Amino acid sequence: MSEPDTDPEAPDEAVSSPTPGSELAATGSTSASGPLIDTPIIESKDIDVFYGDEQALQEITMAIPEKQVTALIGPSGCGKSTFLRCVNRMNDLISSARVDGELLFGGKDVYDDDVDPVALRRKIGMVFQQPNPFPKSIYDNVAYGLRVQDEEVTDEIIEEALRGAALWDEVKDQLDESGLELSGGQQQRLCIARAIAPDPEVVLMDEPASALDPVATSKVEDLISDLAEQYTVVIVTHNMQQAARISDKTGVFLTGGKLVEFDDTQKIFENPEHQRVEDYITGKFG
Amino acid sequence: MPRNEYQSQLTELRADVVEMSETVAERLEMGLEALETADEALAEAVIEGDAEINQQYLDLEKQCTDLIALQQPVAGDLRFIAASFKIITDLERIADLATNLGEYAKAGETSLFPEIDIQELGEVTLEMLDEAMAAYVEEDREQCYVVDERDDDLDYLCEVASDTVVRELIEHDQLDGDAEIEAYMEDVSQFLLTIRDIERIGDHSVNIAARALYMIDNNDELIY
Repeated sequence: MSEPDTDPEAPDEAVSSPTPGSELAATGSTSASGPLIDTPIIESKDIDVFYGDEQALQEITMAIPEKQVTALIGPSGCGKSTFLRCVNRMNDLISSARVDGELLFGGKDVYDDDVDPVALRRKIGMVFQQPNPFPKSIYDNVAYGLRVQDEEVTDEIIEEALRGAALWDEVKDQLDESGLELSGGQQQRLCIARAIAPDPEVVLMDEPASALDPVATSKVEDLISDLAEQYTVVIVTHNMQQAARISDKTGVFLTGGKLVEFDDTQKIFENPEHQRVEDYITGKFG
Repeated sequence: MPRNEYQSQLTELRADVVEMSETVAERLEMGLEALETADEALAEAVIEGDAEINQQYLDLEKQCTDLIALQQPVAGDLRFIAASFKIITDLERIADLATNLGEYAKAGETSLFPEIDIQELGEVTLEMLDEAMAAYVEEDREQCYVVDERDDDLDYLCEVASDTVVRELIEHDQLDGDAEIEAYMEDVSQFLLTIRDIERIGDHSVNIAARALYMIDNNDELIY
């Protein structure tokens, strides 16, 4: 894997500043075997992750473009979800986890001592595999992230988040009802609304549609494409066709916690560089 | 290897495309022989056999669409199926042109211009088809370029043959009466169509080589 071009002009402001992404350098950066990224919002440089003595990721280097959908695919246990959790420091919650290397968000290493993980997660939201609304009203679910951070909650913000999650028309007359009353697909879109209510810059999604039926999956996929107009979306998926359908860039992790190839999605699925990637995506090994 | 059923379907598709190409090559040989020998029965066999080729084409088209719909192929597998899908169209067109040769053999005088060796031109197209299919089966990128270059030679030979016909037509002055002139013109016209069809068979072989190259290397250099 080639080294990314580092940008000597990159600013070094604290990532806990209100709008770290706005400080991004606009010059190009390359990553892994991948494409030139004009506006990387996240840059991973030689990231290693260990759980105790076990190494889960090895020298992950890639530049994730702003306001695009980047898909991370690979077999179970290859480290793609581990990488996702590195981005907003969810791995901090695992006591045995250790992260080496640089993970830049807006040019600032998110693992610097002066970075507040809670503030970081406000800018980098996350949606999980299983819809996990809180046992609260739809309104309070969406407001939750804002209230945790003592931010103002207005009806307008709630409506905007629900509209952004393509859920408003379905729930606007039942905002006081429990989020748990919604269907699985609606619950997942409620979780997306909750994630985008604080107006993050990045939305991380870990298998967001794997627990949904095809219709709900289609709605979430459409939503992901819409979200990319306003946010950077990084999605982990086992569903390669889903990655092909909705992403602009695709990273392929293979066993050993290595990012083998990162490139335009079209390139990955039509003519990958590496035989191991070809074998994986064509199902010749699992 | 996982996805055994899928892998066996890909292998079957490749074998079936090859089988179709062998049938088409056989029909082309028969069409050329019918032209040479003015064998009406042989010509008729080529014409009637076209229905079988059409059915092979439809079966293969369905194999390709089923694979795409049900297996969602990507990367090299996708290029193989996409190439196969296009190649069977070219094979079907070659079979149609072989049928034309059968029609010409039945319809008219085929030895008007003994100095033009139609069989030699036909032999070149048979070799080109064989080489193009070998490129597809053996994934031989060099062979793809060989077929493309040979088409230049075939085009030249066809051009020379057409020039010869036109020159003789201009110089021909031994016809007597409208009916004789009309019959002669029909034969000449058919001879020119024969040359044109042979040249087109070469073009279809190049198309097959071009799709094989795309399949092998994701290289569309020879397509158009």
